[in-house]
Amino acid sequence: MAAADLQVIIQKLRKLPEDYFQEEDTNAFVATCQKCLEEDQAALLLQIIQDEENQAIIRNSGWNLIGPVTSWFQKCPDDSHRKKLSLEMVNSLLQICNPKEVLLGILEHIDEAKGEDIPHVILFLLDPLQNVLLRLGHKKAYSLGVSLSTILAQLCFLPVPYTREQIKEDNHYLCQCCFALLQLTKPFVDVVAASEDCVKSSEVEELRKELVTFCYSFLKQPLLGAPLRIPPDSDDDDDDADDDDDDDTNPFYTFAKEIMSYLVLLGESLPNAFLKRVDVIQNLESKETPQEEEKYADESLACLSYLLFVHHIGIDDFPYVFGPSFVVKSNMEHIDVLLKRTEESVLTKGLELLESSLLRVENDSLHQDLFEIKAVLHVVLSLVKVMTLCPFENLRKTSLKMLQLLIDKFGAEGKYTLFRCVLKTSSHAGVEGYVIQNIKNQIDIALKGGTNNNCFVGPRLIPLLHIVLSLPDGAETDLLQTSDRIMASLNLLRYVFIRDKEVDNETGVWTELHRIEQDFLKPLHTGLNLSRAHYEAELRSTNEKKKGTHSKKPVCTVTAGGEMLPDMTPEMQLQVLQSALFTFDLMESVLARVEELVEAKLKSASEEKIGSSKDV
Amino acid sequence: MAASGEPERPWSPEQLQSEELPKKDIIKFLQEHATDSFLTEHKLLGNIKNVAKTAKKEHLVTAYNKLFQSKVRARGRKLSDMKDLKVTDDKPKETKPEESVDEGPPKYTKSILKKGDKTNFPKKGDTVHCWYTGTLEDGTVFDSNIQTSSKKKKAAKPLSFKVGVGKVIRGWDEALLTMSKGEKAKLEIQPEWAYGKKGQPDAKIPPNAKLLFEVELVDIE
Repeated sequence: MAAADLQVIIQKLRKLPEDYFQEEDTNAFVATCQKCLEEDQAALLLQIIQDEENQAIIRNSGWNLIGPVTSWFQKCPDDSHRKKLSLEMVNSLLQICNPKEVLLGILEHIDEAKGEDIPHVILFLLDPLQNVLLRLGHKKAYSLGVSLSTILAQLCFLPVPYTREQIKEDNHYLCQCCFALLQLTKPFVDVVAASEDCVKSSEVEELRKELVTFCYSFLKQPLLGAPLRIPPDSDDDDDDADDDDDDDTNPFYTFAKEIMSYLVLLGESLPNAFLKRVDVIQNLESKETPQEEEKYADESLACLSYLLFVHHIGIDDFPYVFGPSFVVKSNMEHIDVLLKRTEESVLTKGLELLESSLLRVENDSLHQDLFEIKAVLHVVLSLVKVMTLCPFENLRKTSLKMLQLLIDKFGAEGKYTLFRCVLKTSSHAGVEGYVIQNIKNQIDIALKGGTNNNCFVGPRLIPLLHIVLSLPDGAETDLLQTSDRIMASLNLLRYVFIRDKEVDNETGVWTELHRIEQDFLKPLHTGLNLSRAHYEAELRSTNEKKKGTHSKKPVCTVTAGGEMLPDMTPEMQLQVLQSALFTFDLMESVLARVEELVEAKLKSASEEKIGSSKDV
Repeated sequence: MAASGEPERPWSPEQLQSEELPKKDIIKFLQEHATDSFLTEHKLLGNIKNVAKTAKKEHLVTAYNKLFQSKVRARGRKLSDMKDLKVTDDKPKETKPEESVDEGPPKYTKSILKKGDKTNFPKKGDTVHCWYTGTLEDGTVFDSNIQTSSKKKKAAKPLSFKVGVGKVIRGWDEALLTMSKGEKAKLEIQPEWAYGKKGQPDAKIPPNAKLLFEVELVDIE
């Protein structure tokens, strides 16, 4: 039926010169073509499009058919016959119509695609799109830029595959789309690369700009969110083999290599890109007017740095004269950007970049000047945040490992600053306890001598010691909440008292004894007594409750992940209370030992004094 | 550095030798007045008690005398750190083809391949632009920004960076300050002033590698 209608319209239009086409007629033509497709008369439509006598009509309104033809194809994207027919139609339209109009038709359709249609539309139209762009002649830069950004924007909607299996299956076609997109871009990159020697025309320069922008966008999305290192499958444990495997079979790794090589081909300097953010920040700080330059997303530059230093992609085009400390310093800006995000894949990249940067420098070699850079403080804070709040266990663990690595790489003065910084900002007893343990180790190293480390003995140590040996709310401090920290502090104190004899007093701790007793030991004693009394009372009342009726309503309910947790049974409550009391026991025993040491040392020291004065 | 004035010599040679002067006092004096590098060299860093255990009296006396011969006293040395290692602020003179900084064997040597204009020298913080090729001792080129293959047309641009502020390996920072515009030189950098014990795995630089560079300083901003 639609076929007959279509013949009528065509006959009418054929008689008219192109300039006399009425809008209603061309609209009717497009609508009827669409109907033809709905009735699956595609072969007929192809004939009409290819018919020499219809050239004028197709030239005039053919570009409007791109959408309907693609939609027809989308209905059954796996049907190869359908695909062949559709492509033939599109390619014929491409030959006859004005490229600019076709381009518009294609982009409109890509832009309008939703959900699962997105990859099919993109994969179907990329080839024609490339043809059209190549036919555009001299003004293609702008059109290319618009096309690339339109496609990238649509790719953002596709879920990123994570596991090896997901990548292999590529159910949402992200890998295929990326591959096609890079194929599309390739000839244009070649044009720019080939014209490198001669004076660049403004046309090539425009093209270059658009392509460079595209590469940076691609780094941010999808590469930053994609897994470059695939977690090993549970069934094979051979790590090394996996690593090699990743490089070859992980398509994202291939894309990353491709994009980096594009950047180099386009004449983009990787060291300048690496330093861009650092320079921008330095300019901001020194209030110099920044140079007129393209601004790319911080995430893109961070991803570039990640590829360079963690995967060594593009490293051959990166100068090897930068000092390792400088690389750490510069990368801190990038790491800061990555660790501020919350996605697992981005955080992983941030931590990996931190590790690879730090492994470049020798232990105890980083200068405390580094703390003048805000990013370093931010990175420390982010590490603490990740290790305490991140829902992914592996990231929490890695983050703690990185904190230790950072501590190891700083010189004594830097370590000192870092410890103070974490103790003042973390507000997490576990982290603080960890740092206090580190302080103890540093004191130990300092007392053993052999280093020029004077931060952890004598007058420099004292202020740090007072930060360590303090209770945030005096005797009323929640001892259970802060138990990790308090235990570490007590351990440190016990160690110092044993190791550093009062006659030597290298740490200066004996001079400060009075203050330590006032600020720490005494309030802790009181606090322990209070807490113990409180919890023992609680224990008794729970025991009584247990004997009594169960009917009492709970004071509150707890939900986790939307599910209500069952009320604690009296047995569980008793267990919790009991374990609190155990903690207090433990704390008390170490405290007792510390107090014992103080008394004993003071006593023996005074005896020694008497003894030695007798000798003289 | 000399502006802080000569400290008085607290002890005469006789006093130094006498039994009455405890080792600890000499160590204390040295630690207060000498630079870290001097102390490192003479193994005098660390807490006084421990140094006293390891150091012999005559060793301390030698160090004491040396302290007054060489200008290695620190400005009221306290909490000084590794960065203060550099001993003198005097710019190495560029007339000599080979020069050394610091004591001990030189950390880098420079031989001039092509003379520069000898008037424009970079200052600390200036941006320098240079062409370079870096090789290992066995001749492996590990890095270069000079394009040899015409096939791979990448942007051949000189490397630019701020000199003298720790952005590049120390050998470069020190050497470039001695070069004038247009100069081309061969640098031989000891590992301590290059990538040290660690090397750089991703740039094929092995641990403890001596690096050879041909550097041409094309411009200074």
